[in-house]
Amino acid sequence: MIIRFLQRHREASVALIIVFLFAVLGLVDHSYLSLDTVLLVYGNSLILFVLAIGATMVMATHGLDVSVGSIMGLAAVVAGLLMNAGWGLPASIGAALLVGLLCGLFNGVLVSLLKVSAIVATLGTLGLYRGFVYLLSGGSWIEGLPENFKALTKAGSLGLSPVAWLVLVLLIVAHLGLRYTAFGRSMFAVGDNREGARLIGIRVNEVQIVAYGLNGLLAALAGVIFASQIGFIPNTAGTGMEMRAIASSVLGGVSLLGGTGTVLGAALGAYFMTSIDSVLVLLRLEAYWNDIIAGAILLVVLITDGKIREAVDRLLRYQKYRKFIDPQAAAQHGDAAKAATRPLKTALETSEARK
Amino acid sequence: MAGTSPTDQRTPLVEARQVWKFFGSIAVLRGVDLTLRPGEVHALLGGNGAGKSTLMKMIAGLHRLDRGELLVCGEDASAMTPVTARQAGIHLVPQEPMLFPSLSVEENVLMHVPGNRKELRARLETMIAEIGAGMTLSTQAGQLEVADQQMVEILRGLIRDARILILDEPTSALTPREVGKLFARIRALTAQGVGIFFISHKLGEIREIADIVSILRDGQVVLAGPPKSFTDAEIVAAMTHVEGKEGFTLGRVGAPVERGDERLRVEGLAGEGFADVTFSLHAGEILGLAGVVGSGRTELAETIYGIRPAARGRILVDGKPLTGHGPRQSLDAGVVYLPEDRQVSGLFVNAPLVWNASALVLHRGQEWLPLARERADFAEQVKLLGIVCANADQPVRTLSGGNQQKVLLAKCLAAGPRVLILDEPTRGVDVAVRADIYRLIDRLAGEGLAILLISSDHEEVERLSHRVLVMNHGYPGGLLEGSDITINAIARLSFGVGAKMDAAQ
Amino acid sequence: MKLHPALKRWESVLALLLIAEILLFGAINPVFLQPSMLLYATSDFIHVGITALALTLVIITGGIDLSLGSVMGLSAITLGILWVGGVDIWVAAVAALAVGTLGGVFNAVAIHLSKVNPLVITLGTGFLFGGAALVLSGLAGATGYEGISNFDPAFVNLANLEVLGLPLPFALFLALTVGFMALLHRTRFGRYVYLIGQNPRAAAYAGTPVFRTLVVAYALTSLMAALSGLILASYFGSARSDFGTTALMPAITAVVLGGTSIYGGSGTILGTARAALLVGYLQTGLQLVGVSSHVSSALSGGLLVIVVALRSLSEMGRVWFQHRRVLRNVAAE
Repeated sequence: MIIRFLQRHREASVALIIVFLFAVLGLVDHSYLSLDTVLLVYGNSLILFVLAIGATMVMATHGLDVSVGSIMGLAAVVAGLLMNAGWGLPASIGAALLVGLLCGLFNGVLVSLLKVSAIVATLGTLGLYRGFVYLLSGGSWIEGLPENFKALTKAGSLGLSPVAWLVLVLLIVAHLGLRYTAFGRSMFAVGDNREGARLIGIRVNEVQIVAYGLNGLLAALAGVIFASQIGFIPNTAGTGMEMRAIASSVLGGVSLLGGTGTVLGAALGAYFMTSIDSVLVLLRLEAYWNDIIAGAILLVVLITDGKIREAVDRLLRYQKYRKFIDPQAAAQHGDAAKAATRPLKTALETSEARK
Repeated sequence: MAGTSPTDQRTPLVEARQVWKFFGSIAVLRGVDLTLRPGEVHALLGGNGAGKSTLMKMIAGLHRLDRGELLVCGEDASAMTPVTARQAGIHLVPQEPMLFPSLSVEENVLMHVPGNRKELRARLETMIAEIGAGMTLSTQAGQLEVADQQMVEILRGLIRDARILILDEPTSALTPREVGKLFARIRALTAQGVGIFFISHKLGEIREIADIVSILRDGQVVLAGPPKSFTDAEIVAAMTHVEGKEGFTLGRVGAPVERGDERLRVEGLAGEGFADVTFSLHAGEILGLAGVVGSGRTELAETIYGIRPAARGRILVDGKPLTGHGPRQSLDAGVVYLPEDRQVSGLFVNAPLVWNASALVLHRGQEWLPLARERADFAEQVKLLGIVCANADQPVRTLSGGNQQKVLLAKCLAAGPRVLILDEPTRGVDVAVRADIYRLIDRLAGEGLAILLISSDHEEVERLSHRVLVMNHGYPGGLLEGSDITINAIARLSFGVGAKMDAAQ
Repeated sequence: MKLHPALKRWESVLALLLIAEILLFGAINPVFLQPSMLLYATSDFIHVGITALALTLVIITGGIDLSLGSVMGLSAITLGILWVGGVDIWVAAVAALAVGTLGGVFNAVAIHLSKVNPLVITLGTGFLFGGAALVLSGLAGATGYEGISNFDPAFVNLANLEVLGLPLPFALFLALTVGFMALLHRTRFGRYVYLIGQNPRAAAYAGTPVFRTLVVAYALTSLMAALSGLILASYFGSARSDFGTTALMPAITAVVLGGTSIYGGSGTILGTARAALLVGYLQTGLQLVGVSSHVSSALSGGLLVIVVALRSLSEMGRVWFQHRRVLRNVAAE
C-alpha cells in the first residue's frame, strides 16, 4: 500500500520526512507550531519561496539555474538606482523585473538553442550578471531607499506585509498553474521526456526558454523583496542564494532529472530551510549550526529517497519479468505462449495449402 | 477491406515519392515510394534497420527528409514539424512508448489536446472501458506494464481523432485478447476513412488486418501489394534476403571439424525475459541463437556474461560453475561478450581506437599503462582484422560502421576468449565487412574457440552455425542440427510455428 | 601520449590566449611584464588552479563536486582548531588534509549509495562540510567569519617561500600539474576515469571498477581543496570557514574553459592548468589597469559563456556541413 502510494507520488517520500520532522519539533516545543512562529518563519522565507518557485519550473524542464543569485542582485541594484534617481516605485520595480526576465531569457536561449549545458551556461551568467551589478553600482552600496519601498515588507494586515500577501498569491497561482494549465504541464513533459514532448507537438525549445525567463523574473522579484527588507543594497546581494533555492526545491521533492515536483513541495522545503533558524533557538543552539543541520537533513532526505526509489524500481523490475523469474508463473506462461502461436500456425497452413 | 475499394479514387492521405534520409553518412532510406489511402491499413514489414521506424518518424515530422517528396493530403509536407504534422491529423504511436513516466494516464493522454477537459475526460473513460484496459485515469504512466503503456499511446491518437494513425509494432507487448480488441478498433476507424500504417513482425496479424503490405529492406521497398498475393515464404524471403550475395567467397560452414571439450554449459537458466534454457557449447563449435527481437536472446547472453542476474539454473564454464558473477569474473573465466548495440554498450565512440581495443585487458596489466605495448598490440589487430583507419588515435566515431564493428571485435579478441558470445555481429555493416567478419568467425571456430552467435539475420545463422537454438517468447522454441538448419526452419521456429511444419513439407 | 587532435588544438589556443593576454596587459601597464609581478600575482588565485586540476578528474567521469569550496574552509578551520588546541602545526596540517580526503570519500560513497545525481549530493555535502567548518570555528570561539590566526610563523612563511625562484604555492601548482598529467594520461586509473565518463554503460560491460575509481577521483578533489585551504591559511596568516565560498565557480570555470566536457569523457589537465592561469591573470590584469575586481569576474563569466556557446555552435556547424557534404555526394552519383 505504501509502495503504491510512493510509486504514484515520488515527492511524497520527501514530504513525509519533512512532516515527520515538523511533528518532532512541535512535540519538543509547542510554540514551534504556534501561529506567531509560523508567521515569523513565513516572513523570513519570502525570498526563498519566490526563488523556489522559479527553481521548480526550471528543474521541471530538466534544467538548472545557478545564476539566480546574481539576477537577484542585479534587479535589486536596478530598482535601487532608479528609485534613487527619482523614478516612481512601480516603474523602478517594473524595470527591475524586466531586467530579470531578460537575464532569464538569455539563460534559456543558451541552454535550449545553443545547447550549452545548463550548469555551464548559468555558471557563466552567474559571473556575468554579478559583474553588471558592480558596473551599475560602481562598487558601492546603494542606500537611502524610499520609505514607501521599505514599507512593502513591513507587517500590515493580519500580521503579513503587502509583499507577503503577494508571495502567498504567487505560491498558489504557481502551484495551480504548474499542475493544471497546459503550459505548466508541458514544462514537466519536456523535462520528463523531451523526445516524447516533441512527438506530441510541444515546442520544447520555447517551453524551456519561457521557464528560464520566468525564473529570471522571479529571481528579480526576490531581489526587490530583499532590497525592501534590509533597506539598502550591498553588492553581494543574493550571493549563494542559488544553492539555497536548489536545496529547497530538492528537499521539497523536485527532481533534478526533470518531470517531477510541485511548487507546494518546494515551498515546504524553503519553509523548512528557513525554520532551521527558529529550531536552533528552540534547541538553544548557536546560529552557526544552521548549515550543518540543513546539509545533514538534505543528505538524509536524498539518500532515503534514493533508497526508496531503488526499492520501488527493483519491485517493478521483478513484476516486469515475473513470468520468467517466478517458477510457478513461468510454467503457466510457457503453455500460454505456445497457445498464442496457434492462430499464426493456422494462417501459415492456409497459405501453404493454397500454394 | 481489399485494396481495390472505391476509396482508391480519393486523394491519398500520405504519398512518399523517392524519399531519401541520411544519418551522418549512412543512407537509412534510399528512394522509398509509399502511398496511404483513406480507410486503408498499410502494413510495413522489414528487419531491424530496414528503415521502417525512420520512415514513420518522418511522416510524423520527427525527421526531415533529405531528398524526394512527401505529400500529406495532396499538399507538400517536406518541411513538416511535429507540430504541423499534428495539425494535419497525423499521430504516431512509437515502438517504444514515449510517455511521461511521472505523469498520470489522464495527463499523458490529454496533454496538449485542445478541447473541454471534462468532455475529453469522459470520452477517455469510455474508451478505456471499451478497450477493457486494466488502468485508471490516475495511474502513473511509469508504473504501467509495457502493454498498457502502448495502449496509452494508442489512446492518445484515438482521442485526437487522428486521420492518419501510425502504429509502430503496437502488438508486440499485447495479449491475443487485447490484439483482438485493438483490431476491432482499427476496423472501426478505417470505416470512418482513417488511414493506418501498421508495423509488425507478425505475419498472421498482417494477413488479418492489412490491405496493403510493403516490405522494406536496407532502406528500400522490395515488395509491395495486397498480403494475400504473397505466400509467407515469399514474404520471409524478401525480408531476409542478403543483398550482394555474390560478394561472398565463403560457402556454408560444414559440420564442425572436430567438436572439442565442452566449454560452456547452461542448465535450466531463467532470468529477466527468458526461462528454461539449456544448452552446451563445445570448443570449435558455433551455436546459433536465433529468434525475433524481444525473444530473450540478448537477455540470455547478458545473464551468462553477468550483466543481469539469473533467477534459476546454472552456468558452467569449463566445468566450473559461474555464479553471482559480474563482467570482470566472466572475463577472467574466458567468457567475452560482444554487445548488440555497439554505440551504446560496446564502444567508447569518442575515445581513440587504441583505448577501445585495450579496454577489456586493462585490469590484467600494471597500474602504469604500457602505452607502447598497447599500440603494438593494436597495430597487430589492425592487420589481423583489416581495420581501415588513419591512426590509432582517431576517435571511433570517425570510422564507418563496419570498421567500428571490427574495432569492437578487436576489443573482444584482445581479452583472449575461450567462449565468445557475439550479439548481432554484423548489424549495420556493409557487404564487404560482413564477408570479413564471417571469415573471421569461421576461422576462430577452426582454431578451437567456442562461439555463441546471436543474430536476427536468419541467413547469417544458417550460414555460420553448426547447431541453432531458436528462442520464442523467452522459451527455447527448438534446436536445429545439421541439414535441418535452413532459413525457412529458423524463420518458422522464430515466428512460433512448430518444427512439425518442416517435416510436413 | 598523443591527445585527441581537437583538444590539442584547444590547448594551443589557450596558450596563445594566455600569451596575448599577458602582452596586452603589459602594453597597457609595463609593470605587468615584470617576472616577479607575474609570479607573485599567482598567489591570489593559484588555490583555484590547484583544486581545478583534481576537479578535472571528477568532471571527466561525468560527475561534479560542488562541495570543494566548503572543504577549503573546513580544512583551514580544522588546522586552526587543532593549532589553538595545542597540536603541532604540521600534525594539524596533515590532519586537515586527512579530513578533506575523508570528505571526498564521503561524497563518492553517498553518490554510490543513493544513486542520486552527484550535483545534488555534493550540494548537500557542501552545506554539511561548510556547516561543519562554521560549527568548529564557532565552538572555538571564532564566531562568524573572524577566523583563527596567530599561527606558527614557520607555517605562515610557507606561502612566501621560494622554490627554484618560484613562490611555493605556484611551484606546487606546477608540480601537481605534472603529477596529475601523469596520473590522468599515463595510468590505468586515468584511463578508467575517461572510459567511465565516455560511456558508463560500456565501462560496466568491460568490467571497469567504477566505484573504486570514483572514490579516488572525489577523494583527490577534496584533498586538493583541503590543500588549497591550507595554502590560503598560510597566505593570509589566518583560517576562516568561508575561505572557499568564492573558489567553487572559478574552479569549475577553469575546468570547462580548459576544454573538459561538463558531460564527461573528455578533457586534459594541461587545458585546465592553462585556463586557470588565463582566468587568474585576466582578473589580476584587469585590476592592474584599474578595472574593479568584480567587473573582472563578470568578464570571466562572459568569457566562459562566449567560449562554450562558440564551441557548441561550431559543433552544430560541423554536423550541418557534414550532412550537406553527404547530400552533395549522393546527388553527384
